[in-house]
Amino acid sequence: MADISIEKAPQNIAVIPFYGTGAFFFLLLTVLLFLSADDLRGFYFTPHLLAIVHTAALGWGSMVIFGAAYQLLPVICERELFSVRLAFISYILLFLGVSWLVAAFWYFIPGGLMITGGTLVFSAAVCYLVDLGLTAGACKKYTVIKGFIFSSAIWLVITTGVGLLLAINLRYPFITGDHLNILKLHAHAGLAGWFLQLITGVSAKMVPMFLLGKSKKEKLLQSAFLLQNAGLVLFEADAFFAGITARVLLYALLLAAGVGCWLLYLYDAYRHRMKKVIDTGMKHTMFSFIGLLAALLLIPVIYYSTAPKWSILYGTLLFLGWISGIILGKTFKTLPFIIWNEHYRKLNGKVKIPMPKHLYAEGLLKYQFSAYIIALLLLVAGILTGSLPVIRVALLVFIGVACCYCLNVAKVLMHKTKTADGNISK
Amino acid sequence: MEISVNEPFYNEKLKALSALYSVMDPELMVNIVDLGLVYGLRFEEEGVLLVTMTLSTPHCPLGEAITTGVKNALSQVFPERTVQVEIVWEPAWDPEMLTAEGRWQLGR
Repeated sequence: MADISIEKAPQNIAVIPFYGTGAFFFLLLTVLLFLSADDLRGFYFTPHLLAIVHTAALGWGSMVIFGAAYQLLPVICERELFSVRLAFISYILLFLGVSWLVAAFWYFIPGGLMITGGTLVFSAAVCYLVDLGLTAGACKKYTVIKGFIFSSAIWLVITTGVGLLLAINLRYPFITGDHLNILKLHAHAGLAGWFLQLITGVSAKMVPMFLLGKSKKEKLLQSAFLLQNAGLVLFEADAFFAGITARVLLYALLLAAGVGCWLLYLYDAYRHRMKKVIDTGMKHTMFSFIGLLAALLLIPVIYYSTAPKWSILYGTLLFLGWISGIILGKTFKTLPFIIWNEHYRKLNGKVKIPMPKHLYAEGLLKYQFSAYIIALLLLVAGILTGSLPVIRVALLVFIGVACCYCLNVAKVLMHKTKTADGNISK
Repeated sequence: MEISVNEPFYNEKLKALSALYSVMDPELMVNIVDLGLVYGLRFEEEGVLLVTMTLSTPHCPLGEAITTGVKNALSQVFPERTVQVEIVWEPAWDPEMLTAEGRWQLGR
């Protein structure tokens, strides 16, 4: 019967705090960027840029992705989330860890604060991996999507573990190799291990689901899994033992081929979709892929050029173009449904009720999308030309994007139950 | 789902199907009948109305909301009957199961 054939969504405490806090960190990220606009014209290893990158990667990207993953894991693993409590503990750990870490980087205080922040973030990653592992562990059937989700969680633990060692090394030097070289390994384990593989796995499930389009080219996903992991493992091992050499271009090529297979799979689902109309949330997602592809094309340029602007542009395209782009759109393909489920699950079919898309302001989302494109293009132009006024204008527009996003997230989170007869019961 | 004029409970099934048109898939904004999610309706002697249906995605987080919608909609039309919903995964739902109306609503 229905009760035993479908899994129930996890309690909101395992999901909602991540979205609310992620929105706050996105606004903070854009403000911090505006305050440090001049840093975008220099070398990337500065206290303010370290604080900004960790706000983007952990406070914004990982925060929202944790929330979305706890909601989607039961869909992907086809069973209930192992522990809602563990999910909430990971939220507390991640929130405290990011807050301390960002403050420690911004004021550059190596030692207790930075190490404690790093430890908390690492613990959050371990909690996530345990909850995920025990949720997925009972699955009898292996799918490549589960493979992506699981490998991304392992890469997250590796990334945060190495990050913690780097934080300790800043105060109590013990790493014999080059700190900046290990920093590159840490950054790419996070970008190509955690973010890329998680986004690949989740999108391979969600995009066909939202578009009602099936792809039968499962082999493309399997190739994507092998190529992305092979490229990353080879890069990490080679760069660790031999430093950055021209061989990294070969590993980047493997990884790019893995990205290509994944995008071809999504394109195949898109081509066979039944839902013809593409909403703003999906447009955001599609635009984000341009940011990823542009960043991949920059890798040879970064290798052969000594100008710092290429590394800054690379990070900008990945964090603000790709990861932010996908979250800015996908938030409104997940959060309204979670809130709607809480308010209207029991009322469905009984009285006339709003649908999830009515819980947020569609017009505001369209403004957000347009402003986002303008902000990103201006920022890219500003970084390429080294023009501080253009960078400042772009970052002001980004603050506007963050305000639109936060307003819409707040509207969804503060929704009160409404029915067609005008009753508001909550 | 098709209902034959000759089958038992023809009128009741028609009434039930009509009620199910009001149950929407919250993501796609198309009713579950035109989506092809409803596989069967069985009026049993013991006062039970059994709905056999599927979901477009197994373990969809909105699955409970959709099955509750089915129970609510049918309980209003048949208050004397106990509505039961059986979710099945075979045959698996496929976009080909959409009705012409469902395709039109999705822009096809």
